[in-house]
Amino acid sequence: MTAALDLAGLTKVYGAKTAVDHLDLAIPQGSFYGLVGQNGAGKTTTLSMGVGLLRPDGGTARIFDIDVWADSGRRAKELVGVLPDGLAMPERLTGREVLTYLGLLRGLPERVVAERAEELLALLELDAAENTLVVEYSTGMRKKIGLATALLHAPRLLVLDEPFEAVDPVSAATIKEILRGFVAGGGSVVLSSHVMALVEQLCDHVAVIDKGRVVAHGTLAEVSGAGSLEKRFVELVAAGDGGAAKGLSWLSS
Amino acid sequence: MARMKIAVLRHSMTGRRAGFVAIGGILGAALAVGTIVLAVSAPALLPAAYAGWMLGWILGPVFAGGGDETLRPEYFTLVGLPPRRQATGLLVSAFVGVAPVVSLLALVGLVVEGARHGAGAALVALPAVALQLAVFVLLSKVAVAVLGIVLRSRLGAVPAGLINGTLLAALGQVWVFPVAFGANGGMPEFIRYLPSGWGVLAVQGEPGQAVTALAALALLVALLLAAWAALLTRRTTATNRSGGRPGRRPGRAADQAPRAGARPASDGSTGSTGSVGSAGPTDSGSPAGSAGSAGRTVPQSRAVLGKELRTWSRDLVRIHQLSFALAYGLAFAAAPLLVGWPGMLPWAGLIFIVMAAGMSANLYGSDGTALWLTIMTPGAEDVRGRQLAWLLIVGPPAVVLTVVLTAAVDGPWPMILTLLAALLGGGAGLVPLVSAYGLVPGIDPHRRSGNPLRATEDEGSATGQVYVVLALCALTAAPAGLIAWRYGWPGVIAGLVTGVLCAWGFGLLAQRRLTAQGPELLELLRTGRRPATKARPDLPRREQIISGVCWGFGAIPLFPQGVVPAITKLNGSGTRSWFLALYLPEWLQWPTIVFMISLGLAMYGAGLWIWLRHRRHPGLATAA
Repeated sequence: MTAALDLAGLTKVYGAKTAVDHLDLAIPQGSFYGLVGQNGAGKTTTLSMGVGLLRPDGGTARIFDIDVWADSGRRAKELVGVLPDGLAMPERLTGREVLTYLGLLRGLPERVVAERAEELLALLELDAAENTLVVEYSTGMRKKIGLATALLHAPRLLVLDEPFEAVDPVSAATIKEILRGFVAGGGSVVLSSHVMALVEQLCDHVAVIDKGRVVAHGTLAEVSGAGSLEKRFVELVAAGDGGAAKGLSWLSS
Repeated sequence: MARMKIAVLRHSMTGRRAGFVAIGGILGAALAVGTIVLAVSAPALLPAAYAGWMLGWILGPVFAGGGDETLRPEYFTLVGLPPRRQATGLLVSAFVGVAPVVSLLALVGLVVEGARHGAGAALVALPAVALQLAVFVLLSKVAVAVLGIVLRSRLGAVPAGLINGTLLAALGQVWVFPVAFGANGGMPEFIRYLPSGWGVLAVQGEPGQAVTALAALALLVALLLAAWAALLTRRTTATNRSGGRPGRRPGRAADQAPRAGARPASDGSTGSTGSVGSAGPTDSGSPAGSAGSAGRTVPQSRAVLGKELRTWSRDLVRIHQLSFALAYGLAFAAAPLLVGWPGMLPWAGLIFIVMAAGMSANLYGSDGTALWLTIMTPGAEDVRGRQLAWLLIVGPPAVVLTVVLTAAVDGPWPMILTLLAALLGGGAGLVPLVSAYGLVPGIDPHRRSGNPLRATEDEGSATGQVYVVLALCALTAAPAGLIAWRYGWPGVIAGLVTGVLCAWGFGLLAQRRLTAQGPELLELLRTGRRPATKARPDLPRREQIISGVCWGFGAIPLFPQGVVPAITKLNGSGTRSWFLALYLPEWLQWPTIVFMISLGLAMYGAGLWIWLRHRRHPGLATAA
């Protein structure tokens, strides 16, 4: 079976720093895939290149075997829903207007757009803020409207960059439920996070990224082994430190 | 804080920016030297010169979009400094920079003036220089802070734009005022008594007057500092409502899915994951619930149009831009009425169009990283909708203004209508084109600081872009204008044709650029730096800087410092504005103008040459 997302030899160099270094990763169809790594490990860069938001210096990205970077990735972009981290939205619209605008832009019929927008807003509990412009949304609300835009066109692959950051626990539970339902229905999800517990709880596959390379990947059980994912992650990433407790001596007096 | 600012400035001194700062610094230094020369040769005019500097300090940052915010008060919120101390710290750091140094140089004129009145007066000049500079810098800060607070609502953005536009137009038409006051060559007395003149008063008078003037300056500094501190506190503690709340609930979708019907649906959906199906992978088109007929689709440009029209009516920055352009056009054209000449009135609408094009030229920059949505939408045609929205917003007021005012003076109809058509089309084409090709990264709207006008970190390039668009927009109307001037009415047809061609062709180019270079533009918007493109792998850093400076700023010597003063001089209207040439002695004026024009042309030539030379490298093809 072709992979939902297939990254091969992806490379991105910023000046002297190699952000992503010949990274290979295949996300199987129907998997709930977690990408973990420290800040600056290259998660966002990898995902951006994978979906067509950042041109790689080398390598390929294929979504359901369609090259993202050929022919401006037209077909591939119909199949993927993206939630980037920290990018702007059409800020002077309300949540509903954003969804309407994007739905129509994607060529969905007006009725369909209206119905889906209604359902998504209600589900994500954004319908209470009917008159609030996106520019005044809180960080958590921004994540939720971003997720709604990613889901709007019924994609088969979701690529989510830090989807739970600053989201309150109740909304997080809703989002988890939506994502589990999406995978149960045959969809595939890739999300990045540095909260290990969350990845353990949600994902069936996981890849550990460090310094722009995949240092471990596979099913959750394969990667974390006998212990917890967090323990394994620290072992993989913090090489040399030995995990010695380096407390702040002046804090405990 | 001052050390922090030096560090920040040092880090940002790269490429185009450094080039702009250098050019700005040199121009400023030239003006400052001019002021000192004035102090030697025509001391009577010194208060007027300083009034000009003060106006520059107040208006400069307002026009450039909010002034120097290298260090934002928000950075220090958590340090918990008392407002006064914070203001003092920020004030000290405000003196670090090119503009204060240049102004300090200009204020040396006070010492010169003092020396004329004796050694004592020269000594008085030293504190006067310091206090006067503090007044300039603080006035600038307070003006921006007040504006920032006024601009938090839509109600404030419109008058602020109108006032700014009127002031700037008055500055552009400053020649009418001396003429109107019947004091050609003289100077209205009140200018001497403006705060900008207090320093001069201090060094000119006897000890009593000197002490009074210095005390007044010191008091003013204290008052301004207190006001600024108070405003800073308000800014960092007030909730930042940078967008006006829409009074009603607009939106097509809202109308079509009334709330009453929505409630039950949402209640039913929260329980089961199955209802997510409408957004789920198993569903390929028609959502559950809507049996069969899925409604109709609308053209993409209509979706974009809807978004853009709402943005125009809600984004304070855009509202301010529009009201600014409107006030500028009206005031500029109406100013000659003061001397009894109504002939300029028909041009108000045309000036408005050009100004509106210039102000909105950074369309994609001001939307920030929202560009990712356009990139991720397959086959999205963003440009046409934006053009249409721009035309719908700018067109009607421009047409009404033009028709009414031209009718009022029974003006030159063929020429005015020709230019109206040509400029509207030209503007609609240039706005997306320039913002796609000369994108200046902005601050994402949700990250903007207390000053909503501050839409970019790089106001040097943004200001340069405004000038470029003003010039280009005027240029698009030139062919049709020439025909109208020569043959009359056929010009209108030419204007329509060039207008449509510009709007269509430039729009097409912009769309192509967005499609091909979308990811690179997004990276620029996100990081604020041009990606180290493979386009110019071999272009050495030095040449990058040179060509950046050439392209970015060739327009300044060419148009405002070359062509415009040449026209002004030919007309003999006497306005000097900021035209360097017209501040120089008579025999130097024409050589300066010629030099400026050749400098501008040479800069474009050099930029083009460097670019052409490197175009031959194969690396360019990858990104182009």
